[in-house]
Amino acid sequence: MTKTTHPLLKVLMYLLLIVGSVFMVFPFIWMLSTSLKTVGAISQMPPQLIPNPMNWDNYVTIWNKIDFGRYTMNSFFIVSIEMVGSLVSSAFVAFGLAMFTFRLRGLIYMIMLATLMIPSQVTMIPTYFIWKEFGALNSYYPLIVPSFLGGAFGIFLMHQFIKSLPKELYESATIDGCSPPGIFFKIYLPLCKPALAALGVFTFMGAWNNTLGPLIYLQDKELYTLPLGLLYLKSENVNQALLMAGAVITTLPVVMVYLFAQKQFVQGIASTGMKG
Amino acid sequence: MQKQGYWGYIFTLPFVVNVVVFLLFPIVFSTYISFTEWDLFNAPRWIGLDNWVRVLNKHEFWVSIRNVFVFALIFVPIQTIMAFVIAFMLNQAIRAKGLFRLFYFLPVVTPWIAGGVVWVWMFNYQYGVINWALESMGLDPVKWIDSSNWLMVISSIAIVQVWKGVGQSMIMILAGMQNVPKEVLEASQIDGANGWKQLTKVVFPMVTPMVYLVMILSTISAFQAFDVFLGLFGSITTGIPERNMVPNLLVYRDAFLLFKMGPASATAWLLFVIILVFTLFQKYFEKKWVHYD
Repeated sequence: MTKTTHPLLKVLMYLLLIVGSVFMVFPFIWMLSTSLKTVGAISQMPPQLIPNPMNWDNYVTIWNKIDFGRYTMNSFFIVSIEMVGSLVSSAFVAFGLAMFTFRLRGLIYMIMLATLMIPSQVTMIPTYFIWKEFGALNSYYPLIVPSFLGGAFGIFLMHQFIKSLPKELYESATIDGCSPPGIFFKIYLPLCKPALAALGVFTFMGAWNNTLGPLIYLQDKELYTLPLGLLYLKSENVNQALLMAGAVITTLPVVMVYLFAQKQFVQGIASTGMKG
Repeated sequence: MQKQGYWGYIFTLPFVVNVVVFLLFPIVFSTYISFTEWDLFNAPRWIGLDNWVRVLNKHEFWVSIRNVFVFALIFVPIQTIMAFVIAFMLNQAIRAKGLFRLFYFLPVVTPWIAGGVVWVWMFNYQYGVINWALESMGLDPVKWIDSSNWLMVISSIAIVQVWKGVGQSMIMILAGMQNVPKEVLEASQIDGANGWKQLTKVVFPMVTPMVYLVMILSTISAFQAFDVFLGLFGSITTGIPERNMVPNLLVYRDAFLLFKMGPASATAWLLFVIILVFTLFQKYFEKKWVHYD
């Protein structure tokens, strides 16, 4: 941007950025470091940054104590289904809003914007009651079914995107004898990839980091997600090294996904501001 | 736009079902529950305004409101200013941008519970690394989230919330800055604007819509704070001291630990009203400082 930044100013900027980075990254370093400590080294003062000796056994112990393998699978299972559901259904509804004129269109659009303002704690208790009546407590249904019905934020994002695509696409497909659902699945859905990637990032983060939902709906330990597994581990009063090993196991998968899809994450977040 | 209107209804049907089942019904039902005594299992019993009166007369409710206001008052400005400053610096010609962006964004993707347990450990009074650092600088150790002083507890939690959220706000403001056309900046340079003037008179006004959005979103998330408390206090039981309460913890405790759906619903609605008033308040001041083209 500015080419005339004073060298001293630049040094100051690097300094600030590095201090900030330490604040952001140090907890991860400390998590990793503590997770490799022996019981004696945990409370040793001054604390060791690089543990000596490295106690890798903590991971073995924790893996045997808490079924983290299963919880990882559970988390990935829920998150993948939620992602498929929310991406397809949001695009589906958005397509309807963007492509057809019908009487209640304006009303539905308005309600969609209004739902963005209703906080979840207001709807939480009745929603819990609904799932209880369906006999679906202690199952994944309360977590995954709603994602197949389209979310306001996702519909909004997809609607903006579909509206920006050329209208002729739809008309020429109709002439070729395609039905509206065919047009949606064969032509529009594949074209929505950039917007779907952005929405996918949000759905992923929301689903992976969701604690309240699993906390109130899941009781059986076999059904736990990773964050719930860690919460359970914490309630077991294990030593800090084991707890941090659990935290590393919980954090690692999502960080890996982030590293692979960094571009989508950043673009996804940036695109939220582009609305309106 | 196409004329076969019935297709419109077919495509929007999933969302209409969603709204009716998971929004309209809950809104009506939760209003009704707030006027009843209900434990989720037996039939609700109408008790009129009792829940509302009881909640509003409880000391803990007002403590939770005070706490969440102070929490927002600490968290929102720190997060917004920090996000703006970092975004501004990352928008300059500096090295290792990608690496810095990665560092600042890492907590955003980290699950709350994992972030929570490590911060609790760092905050530990006796063996925590933060107090060790203070002591090695010759300062006295501090009780952070174990403090008996509520302001200390709430501030410590606000700092953790900044750690978790600043990356997301920063990316949004950065996106706004990257939309400032190069020509505008060059023109202002030719007109003799130095770095500071350019920042305050050109860049800042042009990103105010994004800064405003970031502030609104962080204010709402502050008032709805729950995960940060769950992450830091661990398994939430009925035994959280009153001085550390926030409204959403009260809702959760009353509903899912004590099975008192009436007071929980009333509290949830009161919290909603507070958020609404605050958002409208921010909206009112919007035109005083936010510039749209």
